[in-house]
Amino acid sequence: MQAVLWLATAVLVAALTHIGGRRDKGEENPAKQSISQQLCDGACTVVLRAVHLALAVHRSFQGWVQSSLEQAGLDVQELLEGDDTEETTERRRHLAGFLASLPQRPEHLAVILPEGRESSIDDVEVLCAWGLLAKVPRLTIYTRDSGMQNSFDGSASRLRKSKMAARAFGSTPRISLDSTSRIEHLGVGTALADADADQQFDIRVSLWSRRNGYPALCTLAQELAAQMQCGPLESKDIGERLVSNRLAEPSGHCHPDLILLVDDLACLPDFPPWQLQSAEMVQIDANGRSLGDAFFKALVRYAKVERRWGK
Amino acid sequence: MGLVAQQWYLCAIATLTVFGYIVIAGTRSSRSTLPLQKQCQLVCGSCLRNFNKLLVRILKQGPIPQHVAFIMDGNRRFARKSQMASVSSGHFAGFQNLSNVLEWCKDLGIGNVSIFAFAINNFNRSPEEVSSLMELAEEKLKELADRSVAEDNRELRIRVVGNRDLLPERVVKSAEYAERITKDYSVMTLNVCFPYSATDEISSAIRKVVEDVEAGKLSTSDIDERTLESRLQIPGPDLDILVRTSGEIRFSNYMLWQSAKMAYIQFVDVYWPEFSFFHMFKILISWQMASKKIKEKKIQMDSKPTQL
Repeated sequence: MQAVLWLATAVLVAALTHIGGRRDKGEENPAKQSISQQLCDGACTVVLRAVHLALAVHRSFQGWVQSSLEQAGLDVQELLEGDDTEETTERRRHLAGFLASLPQRPEHLAVILPEGRESSIDDVEVLCAWGLLAKVPRLTIYTRDSGMQNSFDGSASRLRKSKMAARAFGSTPRISLDSTSRIEHLGVGTALADADADQQFDIRVSLWSRRNGYPALCTLAQELAAQMQCGPLESKDIGERLVSNRLAEPSGHCHPDLILLVDDLACLPDFPPWQLQSAEMVQIDANGRSLGDAFFKALVRYAKVERRWGK
Repeated sequence: MGLVAQQWYLCAIATLTVFGYIVIAGTRSSRSTLPLQKQCQLVCGSCLRNFNKLLVRILKQGPIPQHVAFIMDGNRRFARKSQMASVSSGHFAGFQNLSNVLEWCKDLGIGNVSIFAFAINNFNRSPEEVSSLMELAEEKLKELADRSVAEDNRELRIRVVGNRDLLPERVVKSAEYAERITKDYSVMTLNVCFPYSATDEISSAIRKVVEDVEAGKLSTSDIDERTLESRLQIPGPDLDILVRTSGEIRFSNYMLWQSAKMAYIQFVDVYWPEFSFFHMFKILISWQMASKKIKEKKIQMDSKPTQL
């Protein structure tokens, strides 16, 4: 009986394979398909839906297992948000030591957050604190909309008196916070508050939005067109170097080495394209997971990367 | 079933399993010369092809992307891993797999495929490797074009995209030949990026726009994203999926303008010559599940005004 069942299953699969493998001339017009082809399409649709469902269940299960393991393990976010007990301070020191021992760390890390996050000022504070802990010199926080940039004053005020940043750094850090048209120096004395870009800061934090990308390239094209009409510029002068120099920001522009995409979808929401050129990308779904945890994982992943620069 | 009969049954199963394993393991070796293994290779190959076609049919019941880009990374590491004679063998194996991938894309109905064949900064590699890559490109562009013409349905249109001023004359001639004889084919377009960098593409687009303004074809106020996009070397359609093989997680200056506009990005931990239909299947299933959300996000993003 079992053998008969196996045989029947094998014949069914073989038939499906044979019918599915045949070239179908009536493929473009379903009405012209034979009944067997239509039945096959129907069966294939069922199989496709089953595969989608199985993958969704598998991912949910994986996510559940992951979050269970993390709850049982080290909660890195606690180390900066929690009270300054002896144990927490000691663990924080260990974590800072571990991050310092990574074979490579990014010079410039960009974090892409989903649009419309209500806790944008909290996010700036958390990411800045993590940047200080990991000794990342430059941090960019990107959201597609201008929400982050619009709350520039709130972010500056929070960072100015941030205990989290102080815990991460060990003392009051010197922070440069900039947006498209504003720049503020935090944690430095009044006399140095208006210092130029050579001022040494412990971290530079930039708030980017879509405006820093495609619209900036369009504006540049308009400016170059106007310059060419006036005379000094020729079309052969327009190349990668010129565009790169013109896109450089007053606060000191360099491309991100590492992009942390905090989203369940592996898509870049209009991130400035020119700045992607030499970036590694790590995507982490932050659902049920702290930003600090995502930051930590991204750094660990980046540490294993081998950069060959085309060679 | 008696004990003796059970034992015979188990022995028979074990013998068949071991024999089957030896045959199948043997069929995986390209050096196998036994007639039985060759026959099994043919049978296994045919079964696999039919099974792939079934999987294609299953996938086609859902949405299919219209533009997929591949960063074909890992040829040299594959050559080292497989102890091939030289890295050129790895590139050759990569081209062989490209033919398979194009076949799958054609079967799936993917209208546009872009491949990153050679980056501008790959000229930093050793002169021997660069020279062998140029020879390979010259030969294979012609071969792809001739194959497309020879096939009854004449489906593949080839476009060679990139900065041709950096290429040797013979490769430019081969590229022009491939483009010329396939220019009327419209079922699938293959953009071969050779040599290419996205920053070169974007700065060239800006230069073209500025030249058009100077020539009076355009005014400064007309310059917007669409104007720039239409002057890119790969203007469209919108990129749906970007795949990079070999496990590296970077863009390497490839199709940045297109990738940053909600393209689904997949980094696959397998070398390009080993990229199989099952990897493709997994990527497409994953994209199909995300496609509705991507479409909704794109509509949401398009409804917000562009800020200049």
